[in-house]
Amino acid sequence: MKKQLSAAAKRKRLQHFFIHAGIILFAGACVYPLLRILTVSLRPGDKLFSTDLSLIPAGATFVSYARLLGDTMFLRWLWNSLIITLATSFIGVSLASTAAYAFSRFRFPGKKAGMILLLSSQMIPAGMLILPLFLMIMKLKLMNTYLGMIIAYSVSSLPFSIWILKGYYDTIPRSLEEAALVDGTSQVGAFWRIILPLSTPALSIAFLFNFTTAWNEYLVARVVLFSSKQYTWTLGLFELQGQYITQWGMFAAGSMLVTIPVLCVFLYSSKWLISGLTLGSVKG
Amino acid sequence: MEILKSIYEVAWFILLIAGGVAVLEGYLYSHFKFYRKPLFEVSALIVFPLLGLLALKTFGLAAPGSYSWLAVSEVLILLFFRFAVKGRHTVPFMLLAPAFVGLALLLVYPFVFEVYLSFHDLKLTTIMMWKNTGTLPFAGISQYVKVFTTSPLSEITFWALLGRTLVWTFSNVFFHVTGGFILALMLNNQIRFKGIYRTLLVIPWAMPQVVAVLAMRGEFHATNGFVNIIITKLLDTLPFLGSLGVAPVQWLSDYPLLTCTLINVWLGIPFMMVVILGGLQSISSSYYDAADIDGASYLQKLRYITLPLIRPVLMPAVTLGTVWTFNNINVIYLVTGQAGGTEQADILVSALYKAAFTYNRYSYSAAFAIVVFAMLFFFSVFYLKTFDAAKDER
Repeated sequence: MKKQLSAAAKRKRLQHFFIHAGIILFAGACVYPLLRILTVSLRPGDKLFSTDLSLIPAGATFVSYARLLGDTMFLRWLWNSLIITLATSFIGVSLASTAAYAFSRFRFPGKKAGMILLLSSQMIPAGMLILPLFLMIMKLKLMNTYLGMIIAYSVSSLPFSIWILKGYYDTIPRSLEEAALVDGTSQVGAFWRIILPLSTPALSIAFLFNFTTAWNEYLVARVVLFSSKQYTWTLGLFELQGQYITQWGMFAAGSMLVTIPVLCVFLYSSKWLISGLTLGSVKG
Repeated sequence: MEILKSIYEVAWFILLIAGGVAVLEGYLYSHFKFYRKPLFEVSALIVFPLLGLLALKTFGLAAPGSYSWLAVSEVLILLFFRFAVKGRHTVPFMLLAPAFVGLALLLVYPFVFEVYLSFHDLKLTTIMMWKNTGTLPFAGISQYVKVFTTSPLSEITFWALLGRTLVWTFSNVFFHVTGGFILALMLNNQIRFKGIYRTLLVIPWAMPQVVAVLAMRGEFHATNGFVNIIITKLLDTLPFLGSLGVAPVQWLSDYPLLTCTLINVWLGIPFMMVVILGGLQSISSSYYDAADIDGASYLQKLRYITLPLIRPVLMPAVTLGTVWTFNNINVIYLVTGQAGGTEQADILVSALYKAAFTYNRYSYSAAFAIVVFAMLFFFSVFYLKTFDAAKDER
């Protein structure tokens, strides 16, 4: 009996060894490019193109970071991105929170059609609406401005946010509002005083989703913004990496500075984001 | 100073939007409240279009005929309230109105505008005329004919692009799902460091896509990227690989589509892994215990328990993944989009983006977009039908 057990344990240990080996291989492939960016960002200026593969390069310096912050408009680009993104997310979440409440709690003609419209809007190829939006922004004389970008971004995540929020509102028991209604508040008052405070987690996830979508956006920014002063960081990095290959160090430094906060936020919030994603799609 | 100015600009804009929302709600509320009063209809017909015209004038958007359009829409709204809504459902409609108007202005209207563009002729030579007068030469279906007869870029045809898009979509989704599935199966064991592994494995998804793609693009550079450096080092230590045809290659100029695919597979596996892992964890272990008692092999358990049970999670994820991959401009544009970039890797959507913004063929690109949208639309209707049928069967 004892011998058999140990044989099974041995097999299990061998199996686990292979699993660990396989996962480590994959994980290495996932992490290595990020580590490479770190390496390149630390290289001294004359060794940018060495074929050295060591993680911390010989003579590592922060010179690229200093040049990035001193010689380019990187901070300005970050600021531009930040202000556009914050305004977009604020508008998007406010619109979504009330609309989702209507979908969650009321029955009204056109409800089903509205839900289908929301879902099918996700089918529109993303690249398709860039052209008309670009022309509209041109017509409104908002090219190269924050407002043009905010207008172009503000509804792009709206359908998804409505889905997430509706799903969350559905889980809040109606009896809470009914009690409030009995106590004499209006339906809107119940929404404002009870549902919204209770939905803080879902609201922050929707906000985060809006935020990351706009923060990482590139294609619309490419056509709306054309002076480097107004660039978002995505355009700025593309510029650094694209035109002048000699600025690889600065590109890498900028990438690190942008990636680390995004990575932290994503890893912190991934659980909720994923449940939102699957919730929306399973129900659809 | 500049910072203050930008804050001021954006704050002003948000206030403007808040004001707009308030006006909209007031407008709707007056209809809900007074829809029955006869005098209301007459005065509404005069007052609201005038106010609308005033608003359009302030923002410099008024065009000849604006007033009659506004009056017509006011009549429609009055009729709608009189015969359809009748003062009911006030709260949900007012809650929905801002989002609905936002979507109508920035999603539905652009779509309609795209259709309009596709039947007209907007290109670099007519854009000034359109900017000044707002009118465009009518082109009938000639733009649609051009979609199928001329190249959106410099030489590749629509059909070649379509074929390439299908290959791109299929191969990407295939590798995403297989890779994600294998990783999820490995992670779904009682192993140590599971949390750490999971965190490391989602990094490609968590990184900002622009950074990830641009960095990978640099790494596929022929001499400075790590891909070729690793291949060279491998050849140094294991010379026999050279006789098998392994050699450093010019990834970006000779194999751009393969490069884009490799990058996108790398980017997309974590999402599938996470979704599938979620599905796997929700399967009760009692199924496997029962199968063990029946003496089922590992592959049998995989085939008859795991696959059917993660289907409800997998199918939506695959659908989503297919649509995302089909529409993925980002990866391809970021890798090949610079001046002098190749068009050997372009798929339908990236070609339509380049046709509009690199070649300035706006109307052509609009017609192209409508064709792509129609294909996607019929695919999804067909797909949903079969999906529903499969659901009923079970």
